[in-house]
Amino acid sequence: MKKRGFADLFFLLLVVYLVLPVVATMLYAFATNWNKTILPEGLTLTWLAALFQDAEFIQAFGRSVLLSSGAVMIALLVIVPAIFVIVLYFPKYEKWIQMAVVMVYSFPGIILAVGLIRVYSKFGVPMILVVLGAYVIGILPYIYQGTRNSLQNVNARQLIDAAQLLGASKLQAFTKILLPTVYPGLFAGALLSFSVLFGEFVLINLVVGSRFETVQIYLMKKLSTSGHIASAVVFIYIVLMGLLTYAIATLTKRSKGATNL
Amino acid sequence: MSYIVIEGLHKKYGSTTVLSNINMKIEKGEFITLLGPSGCGKSTILRILAGLTDASAGKINIEGKDMNRVQPKDRQVGMVFQSYALFPNMTVKENVAFGLRMQKVNTAEVDQRVQEILEIVHLSEKAHAYPKELSGGQQQRVALARALIVRPKVLLLDEPLSALDAQIRKKLQADLRAIQQKLGITMILVTHDQEEAMAVSDRIFVMNNGMIAQSGTPTAIYTSPESEFIANFIGHYNVFTRQALEKMIGEALPKEYSKFAIRPEAIHLDQRQGDVCMTGEAKQSLMSGNVIRTTFEGECLFTMEQLHQRGHSFELGKQYVCYIAKEDVIALS
Repeated sequence: MKKRGFADLFFLLLVVYLVLPVVATMLYAFATNWNKTILPEGLTLTWLAALFQDAEFIQAFGRSVLLSSGAVMIALLVIVPAIFVIVLYFPKYEKWIQMAVVMVYSFPGIILAVGLIRVYSKFGVPMILVVLGAYVIGILPYIYQGTRNSLQNVNARQLIDAAQLLGASKLQAFTKILLPTVYPGLFAGALLSFSVLFGEFVLINLVVGSRFETVQIYLMKKLSTSGHIASAVVFIYIVLMGLLTYAIATLTKRSKGATNL
Repeated sequence: MSYIVIEGLHKKYGSTTVLSNINMKIEKGEFITLLGPSGCGKSTILRILAGLTDASAGKINIEGKDMNRVQPKDRQVGMVFQSYALFPNMTVKENVAFGLRMQKVNTAEVDQRVQEILEIVHLSEKAHAYPKELSGGQQQRVALARALIVRPKVLLLDEPLSALDAQIRKKLQADLRAIQQKLGITMILVTHDQEEAMAVSDRIFVMNNGMIAQSGTPTAIYTSPESEFIANFIGHYNVFTRQALEKMIGEALPKEYSKFAIRPEAIHLDQRQGDVCMTGEAKQSLMSGNVIRTTFEGECLFTMEQLHQRGHSFELGKQYVCYIAKEDVIALS
């Protein structure tokens, strides 16, 4: 009984530790004034309204969406077919992808940023394209894992064999059978990648900076001018991530159901 | 010329030989079984026949046409996989219709043929269900219908029943044989289950270590095993060395053979049913369904099988004299 009490207490402390800053930040986005009281003196939509009336924020939001979704689209178009071919037909080469995945995790953002600037600045390549390329590689682990798990769950090689023996070409087997079957897993990987890139700050700030202001850079700027506006940005960010997480969870569940053969 | 001819088929993975000099002739409408232990190469033969795996050497001919350079989609070979390989994004009806859609058959004919084949496999009421909503047995029948609807020249069955429980497996074995005979289609089944092979096949090719160890009708394979491997794999044969059996029965046996086999059900207690006799002490009696299997220890161990209904009750530890007809002592090469 005593043990149970301690466990509950620790759990409560953990929840408070994790949730309190988030709740406080979100409350601050709606607070009229919150300086001398425990709870906000009043609630208002002023900060959110101000944020949505700020063209700079709308543009920053658009840039973040464009950059993140662009990187995810490129990854889906380039990396996914490569993973399909390697996992299904050349599994011995999978170790090279796994090595690339580990390298993505092992490079700290600051070193990656310095490296990219030093290598690409002399070639005159727009640095935003360099960041885009780095993002495509950066989400390799999520795209690879999502695709590979989906393929293995459905015994993809056998599905392709079965389709071919029924008269389908490899391309037809891929588009009519494999893609619709693994799409929930792929889409979940894509959403996860999008959410990771949407929150990325280090690389974009160091390599491009305010020349391509994303939501994270906008947030950084607002931190020094208005805490309420900064909290409103965080609120929107958290809502967006919440929606993405919900979508990922739903898709993952559906993906597992589809493989229950 | 036979309907399917396989000549000198070899398959190597690196330095490992998986198939060695496989030669088979199969007639139209035959139900053939490739029987053997795991890893003996039987599934590889199916995959090569289907064009899913390339042979290292050898020829495959179906209906007079060389198949070596023909793509899987153009071979008109159907296949049913052990894991069913149903398309999870499609309903039963869509799965079954897939092959016809690839052939661009018109919708009215597709609907009619799907309905017909689903009736044959008793799944008409499940036409709109998804694979995950079906039992293993139902999924396997969908896989069978999907493969049959395109009217393949030959249907390959890669251990299609091994994931099912015994009762459903027996029912599907009978269904499979009935459908094969009704449609007159050539089928090649891969299995490691000798009872299954015996139950459904016209002929059996028993494989071992990438080679065909023996082929023939189920009766011929069972009653006349040519080697110790077949005798052990195909039934519960008693296998003796010549010297041991000579000692047990007190008679000389042909010198050119080193091993002999006796079927357990060919051993009797009734003197009228045998010319040679051997003595042993009853050590263990096990009931396996309708059969009682009793082990005796004489010069060496041997087993007798008798039907449960009229079987003799043995007293363990007691000596018994058992009789065998001379023609039931089978010389192994």
